[in-house]
Amino acid sequence: MSLLIGAMTIGFILSLLALGVFISFRIFSFPDITADGSSTLGAALAAALIVKGVNPLLATAAGFAGGFMAGAVTATLATKFKINGLLSGILVMTALYSVNLHIMGRSNVPLLGQQTLATYAERAGTKILGGRAGLNVGGWEVSSLDASVLVLTFVAIALAGVVLFAFFQTNLGTAMRATGDNSQMIRALGVNDGNMIILGLAVSNGLIALAGAFLAQYQGFADVQMGIGMVVWGLASVIIGEALVGTNQLGLTICGAVMGSVLFRLLVAIALRLGLNPNDLKLITAVFVFAALILPNLLRKLRSQGASLSHA
Amino acid sequence: MLEMRKVTKVFNPSTPNEVRALEGVDCTLEEGAFVVIIGTNGSGKSTLLNAVAGTFYVDAGTISLDGIDVTRWPEYRRAGVMGRVFQNPFSGTSPNLTIAENLVLAARRGLPRRLAWALNRKVKDELRERVRQLNMGLEDRLDNAIGSLSGGQRQALTLLMATWLKPRLLLLDEHTAALDPRSADQVITLTDTIVTRDRLTTLMVTHSMHQAANLGDRLIMMHRGKIIQEFKGAEKRRTRADDLLARFEEVRRAEQLDETAAEMLERTYV
Repeated sequence: MSLLIGAMTIGFILSLLALGVFISFRIFSFPDITADGSSTLGAALAAALIVKGVNPLLATAAGFAGGFMAGAVTATLATKFKINGLLSGILVMTALYSVNLHIMGRSNVPLLGQQTLATYAERAGTKILGGRAGLNVGGWEVSSLDASVLVLTFVAIALAGVVLFAFFQTNLGTAMRATGDNSQMIRALGVNDGNMIILGLAVSNGLIALAGAFLAQYQGFADVQMGIGMVVWGLASVIIGEALVGTNQLGLTICGAVMGSVLFRLLVAIALRLGLNPNDLKLITAVFVFAALILPNLLRKLRSQGASLSHA
Repeated sequence: MLEMRKVTKVFNPSTPNEVRALEGVDCTLEEGAFVVIIGTNGSGKSTLLNAVAGTFYVDAGTISLDGIDVTRWPEYRRAGVMGRVFQNPFSGTSPNLTIAENLVLAARRGLPRRLAWALNRKVKDELRERVRQLNMGLEDRLDNAIGSLSGGQRQALTLLMATWLKPRLLLLDEHTAALDPRSADQVITLTDTIVTRDRLTTLMVTHSMHQAANLGDRLIMMHRGKIIQEFKGAEKRRTRADDLLARFEEVRRAEQLDETAAEMLERTYV
């Protein structure tokens, strides 16, 4: 049971990553792989500041701000200097590796015994539950610490999702969605599309860094390698989410990205439990995303071929 | 109002594909003028429109609007005072956004976009009222994605969007060329209604001699990056589609003659 709760908590945390990837890949059609670096940046900033004794809320906010700036740099390279989008992301991601090492001072910063958002959540949970060590949820014995972390994570992510949804309904947010949809049109309506992309990727990487900051506090350490493969994980979550909700309505796709992230983590947990070698995880995720990208087209082709054969 | 002075543009300079698209074009539009541009393929008529819109920067010459030099203004900045409709009916609208969202984007052309809600009931009622005037039944489909509409409907909406806030200058780039004849007629009628009602200063490129003869109060003929003839006032009103065709035929002949004559001279004297 605690395995399940752990998987769900990580799923909710990484749904921020999924939302960030959703913004760059789906709203702007920008293949932004800065995420591998910015998620670590968020974790590194939060961990380094917490160890220095900074309030964990402030440290987490600093993580968001760091990702925000990283995204802005990637988008500036792409829009103002006309560098290929993929290459811009690679440049920033590579540079961030050194930046992250400098921030942390070494390759791994443990947070054991530190005040983090996770310990805050545990304390709040203990207060509300009156100090009981276990909870009975539908016949399952659940550690109250795990449960309170899960609930607070859920609340934080729900809040982020609602804010994001609301943002995309404003004048600014609508202009951003239109930029990804038809940049020629939005320029003709007097919008500087380059600035829209910069702001959009900044928000996207801010969310991704926030996921990194949460993850570091949840797992109790930040590691310079922790960001490897984040883009593909995020993309997998977005794709699962799209399959779950089956529409491109904005509110539902945001819910879908969160659900996709949780489902993906549950699947991973189950696969590991069934004896999957953890070393194969990234390979299998990559193969999954590959399949999800080509299957729709392949199925359509097969179907139209079948149709033409039956007509013949 | 709009002043173009010696506007020059060369595409792919010093390569085998060099195209002298505009060769020192001078043109002035008075306030409220409705100018139609016609020309052969590759004559530079669309290039001229794009130069005004700021799709690219010109190589030489100046473009000014209301006495302000806009030659170095980027496209989005000029769009604050210019409305535009493209040849491709899919270029002017955002397919995954709803009709209402597209319109409300146009309702803030050139204004800052901040964190106020894009749509509320009052705004939507206003949108519905103006969409009703199109007589296309779209007022009941404001929440549908605009990508689900036909090319003609989308072009009518693009025209409505381009003129939502009265632009200082309206640019129409062969905006009916990709439509079926019935939709093209509808859009042209709508264009005439809006331009006349709001007395918009308009620059319209067209491939249709019929439209050129019937619309606007001034006609510009372009050929090989230059303005070769203008019809104004009474002369413009008298001009018929056949006259324009005849004039183009004349140009073509003169050119052939020039080339053969040049060849003959070359053979004789060089």
